Formats: sequence, C-alpha cells, structure tokens
Amino acid sequence: MKKGDRVFSIICMGLSLWLILESLKFSYLSKFGPGPGFLPFWLGIILGLIALFAFVNTFSGEKKDKGDEPRLPGWGSLGRVGLIMLIMAGFALFVNSLGFVLTVFFFVTILLFALEGVGFLKSLFYGVMFSACIFLIFLYWMELDLPKGLLGI
Amino acid sequence: MDALHSLMQGFSTVITPFNMGMAVLGCFFGTLVGILPGLGPSATIAMLLPLTFGMNATSAMIMLCAIYYGAMYGGSTTSILVNVPGESASVVTTFDGYQMARQGRGGVALGISAIGSFIAGILGTFALIFVCVPLSAFTLKFGPAEYFSLIVMGMLCIVFVGGKSISKSLMSGVIGMALGTVGIDVVQGAPRFVYDISQLMDGVSFIVVVMGLFGIGEVLVSAEERMKIKTINVKLKELWPTLGDIWQVKWSVLRGTAIGFFIGALPGAGATIASFLAYGIEKGVSKHPERFGKGAIEGVAGPESANNAASSGAFVPLLALGIPGSGATAVMLGALMLYGLKPGPMLFHTNPDFVWAVIASMFIGNIILIFMNLPMIPFFAMGLRIPYRYLYPAILLICIIGAYSLSSNVYDVWVMLIFGVFGYFMKKYDIPGGPMVVALVLGPMLEYNLYRALALSRGDMTTFFTRPISGTLLAIAAIMIVVVTFKAVRMKRALIEEKEE
Repeated sequence: MKKGDRVFSIICMGLSLWLILESLKFSYLSKFGPGPGFLPFWLGIILGLIALFAFVNTFSGEKKDKGDEPRLPGWGSLGRVGLIMLIMAGFALFVNSLGFVLTVFFFVTILLFALEGVGFLKSLFYGVMFSACIFLIFLYWMELDLPKGLLGI
Repeated sequence: MDALHSLMQGFSTVITPFNMGMAVLGCFFGTLVGILPGLGPSATIAMLLPLTFGMNATSAMIMLCAIYYGAMYGGSTTSILVNVPGESASVVTTFDGYQMARQGRGGVALGISAIGSFIAGILGTFALIFVCVPLSAFTLKFGPAEYFSLIVMGMLCIVFVGGKSISKSLMSGVIGMALGTVGIDVVQGAPRFVYDISQLMDGVSFIVVVMGLFGIGEVLVSAEERMKIKTINVKLKELWPTLGDIWQVKWSVLRGTAIGFFIGALPGAGATIASFLAYGIEKGVSKHPERFGKGAIEGVAGPESANNAASSGAFVPLLALGIPGSGATAVMLGALMLYGLKPGPMLFHTNPDFVWAVIASMFIGNIILIFMNLPMIPFFAMGLRIPYRYLYPAILLICIIGAYSLSSNVYDVWVMLIFGVFGYFMKKYDIPGGPMVVALVLGPMLEYNLYRALALSRGDMTTFFTRPISGTLLAIAAIMIVVVTFKAVRMKRALIEEKEE
C-alpha cells in the first residue's frame, strides 16, 4: 500500500500548498485576533508537514506484510465504479428536465440492464417498480419537493 | 429528583400516537438500513434524515435516535448471519457470533445480542442522565477559551483513535477542517474559497459529505466487488436463548455496558473501540479463553452490550457540551441545527422539554427494538437475501433524495457524488472518513471560539493557558500528543530491530 500512501501524501502536499497560497489572499489578523486567512494558512502548514512526514515514511524500510500489498482495483472494477458514477451524474444532469420519477425509471433500468446484465424486460419492470415506490413514498405520502419535469410528476 | 421529574415530563411528551409512531418507524427503518453490510449508523441517519422533514424538532429527533439505535441493532444481524459486519462496531461480533450460527446457534446469538443491547441501552440511558445533567451544569462555566481547548482535545482524541494510521487520520481531520473554512468566515464575514459559487456561501454541508463518504462510497466499494451474500437461516422459535444462556452472560453484559458507556462518552473513541475492548476483557476474565473465536456466547454478549451502551455514551458530549464525539452524533448535531436548535449545555435550560423528551425516547426506543427485533429478525434477514444488484440502486436513490431534499437543489447531489468518489478511494486507501466529518463540524466552532476568546482577552494568547479549565484541557491534549508520539517511535524502533534480526 506504500504506493497508495505516497500518492495520497503528494495530493495532500499539493492541497496544503494551495491552502497556503489561497489563504494569503485574506487578511491574516483582525483587530484582536485571527483574520479570515489565519486558520486556512495554519491548516495548510500542518497538512503540509504531516503529508511530508507520511511521504518520507513511505521510503522507510518497514517489513512488507499483506497490508502493504496494493489493494486498488484493476481497470475492470474501476470501469464499473466509473460507470455507476456516470449514470448517477446523468441522473443529476437530467433530473430537473425529466422530473424525479421519470429519471428514476431511466436510472434503474439503465443500471440494471447495462451494468448488472439483467434482462431488458426485467430491467424495465424494476424501473417501473422503483419509480412507483418513489412516487408513492416520497411524492405522494411525504410530499417532498422533488423536481416535477416533463410529466409533472 | 429534578431529573426524575423532568424525565417523567419527557415521557409524557413522547407517549403520543404520533411520536410513538415515529419511534417505531425509526427503529424499523434504522434496522432495515443498518442491516445492510457496510452502511453504519452515520450513513443510515444521514440517508434517512429526509424522513423527518416537515416534523417538529422533538418528533424528528425521536425518530433519528430510534434510527441510530435501530442501525446499531441491525449491524449485529449481518455479523452473525453472514460474517460481514453491518458496521465497524459489529466487526468483533463476527468472531463468535458467526461461529455460533455455523454451529446452529445463530438464533441464540441474535437473541443474546438483542437482550444484551437492550439492557445496555436502558442502563446506558440512565447513566446518560446521571452524567449529562451535572456535566451540562458544569459546562455552563465554559467560555470561548475552554470551548477552544475542548475542541482541540476532542479533535486529537478522534484523530488518535480514528484509524490504523495516525498520519492518515490527521490528514483526514485537517482536510475536514479546511473544508469547514469554506463559506462566509466567522470573523469578518468575508467569503472564503467560494469562487463565485453562491451555494458555497453557506459552506459545505456535512450531511451531504457523510452521505457521499459513507453512503455512496460504501455502495461503490460493494458494487465493485459484486457482493454476494450467503445468509444462514434462522427460525423464529430458535431465537430465544435459554435462561441458562442469559444467566451465563449476565456479567459480560454488565461489564460491556460499563466499558461501552465510558468509552462512548469520550470524543472519538466510540462504539468500535468499546466493542473490541469489551471482547478483550471478556476473553481475559474467562476461565476458558480458548473458547473465544469458536462460538463463545460471552464473545457476543460483551461487545454487543458495549456498542449499544457506547451509543448512549456518545450523547454525553453532544448534549452536555454541544460537540459531537462520533460521525453519527455529528449528523445528529447537524440535524439539531437544521431544526433551529443550538446544541450545548444551554439546551437543558432553553429547551428542557425537547432534551428530556429525546432522553425518554431512548428508553422507549430500546423497548420497541427488543419487542420488534426479536420476532422480526427472520424478516430483516430476508432482506439480506435480496441480490445486491437490486439493493444498491435503492440505496443510491435514497442518498440522492436525501441530498436533494436538504435544499431542494441538485447542487447538493453533485457535491455528494464528488464526496462519493472521495469516499471510495479513501476506503481503498484505508483513510478514515470519521475524522474528516467530525473536523468539518468542529472546524468552524474552533475558529469561532478562538476568535471570541482572543477578542475577550484583547489578543492575549495566554488566556488559553492561564484559565484553569482551558489550561487543564490543553495539558491533557499535550500529554496525548507526547504519549502517542512516544508509542509511535517505540513501534518504529521495534520494527527496525525486527527487520535487522
């Protein structure tokens, strides 16, 4: 897992640099105490120091055990996670224009059919069932203010 | 006597058809979601928060507490029947619970877990009253300097016990604090890190962060692994432990309760550490430690009692100090704020009806859970047989509805998705999310109290050290840093020596 730890430390060092640079845009002190730039500045410094320590630590010669082995998934699994996120992003993108219930139908159908290998008709059935449940529970019973969209539901 | 009188008034508030209904629904939904592997109480409460929208604060909090307890109960079911913990506090239950299930005593394990949790929940709530009332009276003396030092100490506790690696916990905590600086700053009212995005003016909603990190992130990990769950069937008549079983674990339950409540009340320690500690102690005091890991009933009773008592203990810092000690109580704190309440010791004075109703509801919630869960365990376990490919779209949809409903805006859904990706990678890299969430809540509090303390002392930094309570809290924080550093150096040396040998 050392490679992973190294990557995370580098990301944190970048983040700390960004925090420090951004915090300089705000005043460091106010009349009696810290200004808006005080906390972000010191958080940046602390994060940078810890990340540097962690980064250096990844080069120390500790004995490798099972936990040191990379646990990041292969491209196949990452692709699967990416697809789920893509379908969810599609949900967020179209929910206002299509309406919540209709978007749920497409979301579930596409997820089950394209990603989970469920048959088309079965996926359609589950899409309808999920939409109906969402409509009944959250729109009809709880009267939540969810986007209405094309069909007005 | 005052506390008893107030508690009775609390019961009179809770025992209305609507509030009782909310408690029952909370227990039901909490158990139902909590039973799903990986989804712990923090994610469960955040996901189900929209169910409370439109209610008054008391009914909403009654329901959220019931969800919390329900999720804790639910977590143990998967540990025993599937050998996959429902949440981290139930990990230790898999050691003996699953072995009992394999030996055909799964029902007894579930029954003992429910009974132990019930006793721990009731005793823990009594302890909560006895600790919380005097502590809240004491913390009324706290000024901004004391709160600042308390938050520093609490943050360090959370970081030091938050995960396997202290440096990762620290980085997670600092990133959480940095996220807390987004929005209008408390000092000059200047927008920070907003970049002309109007929604960022209010900061990053930590409820959305919790749903992303713990809800979406967890689902992505499980969906990626194409989780297949094989449950061990349990029949209703097998659920009742014999009197001999109960008698055998009486001390385990009581020890677990005491350990759980004490550990749960410490910021950051929480139910997971409590359950592991209880297991260790049970094994240590047992005359037959060799039975542990092979289906020892005490190995289920102790940890399960401890993690439920820790849930009661976790309310101590929340109610008496207004600071969350865990991810789940951080979400509770967020919910309190959503309902316009200011958590902290003043809550006992400004909203006593609310506080006592919530405490009374904890007793009722535990009673509902034991009556509901024992006969319904086979039903809840049936949920585990639904293939995960049909379950996870439902979880994702509930998260989306939860995020959207917070401000009726798709922006929160986007934020949740971003944190979902972070949550996935954090899980993969073993970076604990708890410190980030709690720091996100505590960060603005820390900055506000730092500013106020320095304004009151006209910029004199020594105010944090010269005020007795503040100085003591900072001294404890300093001791913690020294002890942890010393231990880390010693471990490192041992590793190097081991390598050289």
